[in-house]
Amino acid sequence: MVKVLWALTVNTFRETIRDKLLYSLVGFAALVIAASLLAGSVSLGQDVRVFQNFGLTAILVFQLVITLFIGTQLLSREIERKTALLVLSKPISREMFYLGKFLGLALTLTVTGVIMGLIFLILVFAKTGAVSPAALFAVIFIILEVWLLTAVGMLFGGMTSPLASAVYTFCLALIGHASTTIWILAQRSGSVVRGILEFIYYIFPNLEKFNLRNDVVFNLTPEPIQIGMALLYFTAYTSAILLIGLAIFRRHEF
Amino acid sequence: MSFSLTGLKRLTLLWVATALAVSYIAQLQYDSWRRFGPPKIQTTYNIFIEPQPPNSETALLASFGAREFLADWYWLKTIQYYGGGDPYGKYRKLAELFDVVVTLSPKFLAAYQTGLIILPGEGFVEEAIALGKGGQRNLPDRWELPYYTGLVYHIYKKDYRAAAEQFTQAASLPGAPPIVQYFSGVYRNLANERQLAYEIFRTVAATSESDFIKERAAKYVLHLEVIFQLEDALKSYQARFKRLPDSFEALVAAGILGRVPQSPLGITLVLDRQTGAILETKR
Repeated sequence: MVKVLWALTVNTFRETIRDKLLYSLVGFAALVIAASLLAGSVSLGQDVRVFQNFGLTAILVFQLVITLFIGTQLLSREIERKTALLVLSKPISREMFYLGKFLGLALTLTVTGVIMGLIFLILVFAKTGAVSPAALFAVIFIILEVWLLTAVGMLFGGMTSPLASAVYTFCLALIGHASTTIWILAQRSGSVVRGILEFIYYIFPNLEKFNLRNDVVFNLTPEPIQIGMALLYFTAYTSAILLIGLAIFRRHEF
Repeated sequence: MSFSLTGLKRLTLLWVATALAVSYIAQLQYDSWRRFGPPKIQTTYNIFIEPQPPNSETALLASFGAREFLADWYWLKTIQYYGGGDPYGKYRKLAELFDVVVTLSPKFLAAYQTGLIILPGEGFVEEAIALGKGGQRNLPDRWELPYYTGLVYHIYKKDYRAAAEQFTQAASLPGAPPIVQYFSGVYRNLANERQLAYEIFRTVAATSESDFIKERAAKYVLHLEVIFQLEDALKSYQARFKRLPDSFEALVAAGILGRVPQSPLGITLVLDRQTGAILETKR
């Protein structure tokens, strides 16, 4: 079973890294991260701060773009072109197929995240002579965030067209990052609105749990309990989304 | 292969040529209006890039978790704006921009320091004090914030009691230079203010980590040295002629000064002929 899953994962990984769009995105991301140095140069002595904020935001945005443009298409393309049938006609369960697709794309996002993260951290080191653990954790948590969004993208991918699925995933990413705002608004509202907003806060992916980017400039390393709870949340939420996606995919008629 | 233009193709070509010609004329007109024409409504070119910052609360709520990134974005905008000239004779959006920056990044020390140095000089005295007090709430361990706030109270509000309170607060914080304590004591006695301001700016110029603040404080030091030079010259004039001169130029005519020194801050110095005091008028 593990062998089959590994084969599907590697196959998906190969499929995605053959996509020319991925190379251009990673190349452009590297360029933007490096260009953040220029923004820092006109910041009145705040160059390290500006470079770190711009660089980390660039990593998140490009990882998100990869998830949206490649991740959301992965499953729907297989369904549309009926190529999924070829794989599923072999002794491979739908669960294995779905999970393999997810892990393959997660592997791709990890590789691209590591490339972007390394470029960023090397430039931070070149500029400051040190790399803070906070920056390292921030990059790792960006990768976790896009893994979760990949699961969301695949869930939508199994239900709707690639474009709609990309739009929905993007909207969820925005809602996920607005979770702090939603919480603040909830606390300021009356009981009914408050109930609705708190429901939204808890039910939608809370991506702010993975946002360590704001702490990097102050060199605030996350506490072990913070890391532990974020990992627990990631595992539970991603599992739930994968299980729902799987349930839908199991009932999908080709 | 023969090539002949059909009526439709000719029409298309005509359209393309016309469109290109119109775009060329439009560009020429635009450039002559914007870049090469006289300044519009007595402003500099900067009017076209005056930032329109959102309300700070809105900026925070709409940041989608990218608080520090947005703070840096508005920080860069602030610098570009301040460096680009003042289109209305006043940087109308300066205080709003600083408010947005520190609301998005409440622990951004350099933003508070820079705001406290430049905002009062541009007429935003109350906003600068509010910025300084907000900074003290968010960064209670930084002596620079009450110190710079005290500076604003002293220079722009002439409120020596409030300034003394700020200096006392600054002196109690870790890393404060010993002279801060000295200032707080002297302020309570309301001593000679310009001499004190001179010492304060010298301390800021010596201790600030920001090159910009250093430069700005150094200019204030030079500005006050100009005033001291004029005050000394006025005393010499009075001792010699038993009266006040009509203007600073009289000091040059009497051979006391080689020339009338100018403020490096662009502040015009005016002699009060009744009292002999040197008054400062901005622009």
